[in-house]
Amino acid sequence: MLMTSFQKSDPSAAPSLMIHFQAYVHGEPLQLNKKYKNPFGEVFELNRFRFYIGKAGPLYTESGFKPTVSTGYQLIDFSDTSSTRIEIPASAGGACNGIQFQLGVDSADQNKGAQSGMLDPAKGMFWTWNSGYLSFKIEGYSPISSQPAHIIAYHIGGYRFPNSTVWNIKINTTNEEVFRITKENRVTVEVPIELDYFFDGPTPLHIKEIPACTIPGPEARNLSENFIASFTGLTLITNK
Amino acid sequence: MKSVTIITGICLGCLLWGLTPFPFRVPEHFPPPVYRFRNNERTKEGFELGRKLFYDGRLSRDGNFPCSSCHQQYAAFATYEHRLSHGFNNQFSFRNAPGLFNLVWQKELNWDGGVNHIEVQPLAPLLDPHEMAEDINHVISQLKKDKIYPTLFNRAFGSPGINSQRILKALAQFTGSLVSADSKYDQVKSGKVRFNTYEQKGYEIFQQKCTRCHQEPLFTDFSYRNTGMATDSSLNDFGRMRITGRKEDSLKFRVPSLRNVFLTFPYGHDGRFATISQVLEHYNSGIIQSSTLDSTLKNGISITNDDRFYLINFLGTLTDSIFIKNPLYSDPETGLRNSAPVDVH
Repeated sequence: MLMTSFQKSDPSAAPSLMIHFQAYVHGEPLQLNKKYKNPFGEVFELNRFRFYIGKAGPLYTESGFKPTVSTGYQLIDFSDTSSTRIEIPASAGGACNGIQFQLGVDSADQNKGAQSGMLDPAKGMFWTWNSGYLSFKIEGYSPISSQPAHIIAYHIGGYRFPNSTVWNIKINTTNEEVFRITKENRVTVEVPIELDYFFDGPTPLHIKEIPACTIPGPEARNLSENFIASFTGLTLITNK
Repeated sequence: MKSVTIITGICLGCLLWGLTPFPFRVPEHFPPPVYRFRNNERTKEGFELGRKLFYDGRLSRDGNFPCSSCHQQYAAFATYEHRLSHGFNNQFSFRNAPGLFNLVWQKELNWDGGVNHIEVQPLAPLLDPHEMAEDINHVISQLKKDKIYPTLFNRAFGSPGINSQRILKALAQFTGSLVSADSKYDQVKSGKVRFNTYEQKGYEIFQQKCTRCHQEPLFTDFSYRNTGMATDSSLNDFGRMRITGRKEDSLKFRVPSLRNVFLTFPYGHDGRFATISQVLEHYNSGIIQSSTLDSTLKNGISITNDDRFYLINFLGTLTDSIFIKNPLYSDPETGLRNSAPVDVH
């Protein structure tokens, strides 16, 4: 589903698009530190769920609208709900049928030395012994995990071929429904992340077998594909 | 030594905030560096802040392990006479601490090349639970509480504030400044002095047998190679494979520079060789065959007793006593040490 809503905004403001990332388990909004079962019946709870996105912008259906994308990166962190809503610049007036963004930090931005802001290594999304920013971090507990204290930890990163976990993602509205961004109407789209598919994805993730993945490599790449699968189809439900 | 200034532009910070310019000079016989202090122009204030941080125990969890506990100027910033270095809570480092010099010529850092930029290198030991065992946010809060640091950061960066980026940039201004280019070898190259007969003979043997990997003038080609060392089952260190995940990189480690080699013993990524003689004997008779062994080492390197004698004479000319006695790099509080570091841990 892609949910959008419109609000009157200051006409002098530059046109923009609000993106709201919302995580779900079994169709219910994710709550941290709450017990769930994954599609394989394994009990788990999450206490951390974060990911980097960059280069976000609307997908225009008409030619003549140069796709604009946001600069810099955003750390979406579900322990801080304000971080799950981001505002990005957009060209006004064109018909749009979805959004695009990059998951993770691309190689051009991985080699720039000490960075600040969203890419401050103090945010805990940076590997120090094998330099690089994680694409996403999912942490919590599962009684079935063989790790100490039954921790589950999916610290998924790696930006080098062939095990890159950085992806360009395009999500279209269901039925190609169209929305338009104007100066006057601030469009908000909701991007659901259905975590059931993180487990029941292209590489089935059984917690019993893979309670943790904290190094770059083929497994991390596979789990990043699972993560992408959790960005399910988009439905435009409001267009006033 | 004649030198060429590489920073030709005007330091913006110097104009705006009255910082003291401190241009980095590339030794004449060195190639252009990889790190050029871009977006981190070297100033006297930034360098001195980095130097203070380098010697400050508050960057470690129990206060006992500043950067300088493992990187001692007396040993060309390696750990003097230690296979592995001491770290937090009676632990040891995973690998032998390399000397710190000529780092701005290194594209990647660490024995396995896992660190992709000089500015982020300090995070590895700082967060390693076996080494400094700290947390970057805790370090920031400690420095903010200090009487002097807020002023020093303000001065070095032209505005108030302490964050990880500023700590790392200041440290890079210091560690990037550690240039060793004043050994007898360098003075021979610039025509100031000549090798004696033994050194000259050793240099000729070195050029025949060693320079494929230990290329002049930095005495490394910065490649990763398997030099036929047996794996240590207590360490299980497969080198660069840990970083790339590629089987082809199993047991490969960065070719270390041989500058200051007399000071940086013991040798090897795990410090298993106590003396240069042992290292040379390893190449002569100790190579362990394996699928990723460097192709140039399949038959070892024939090094006779005579070769060894001359080679060691030559390697002695790579000691840079001006570098290890440069007060600019010493502990800003206690000054230069003139004796071997005492093992206090």
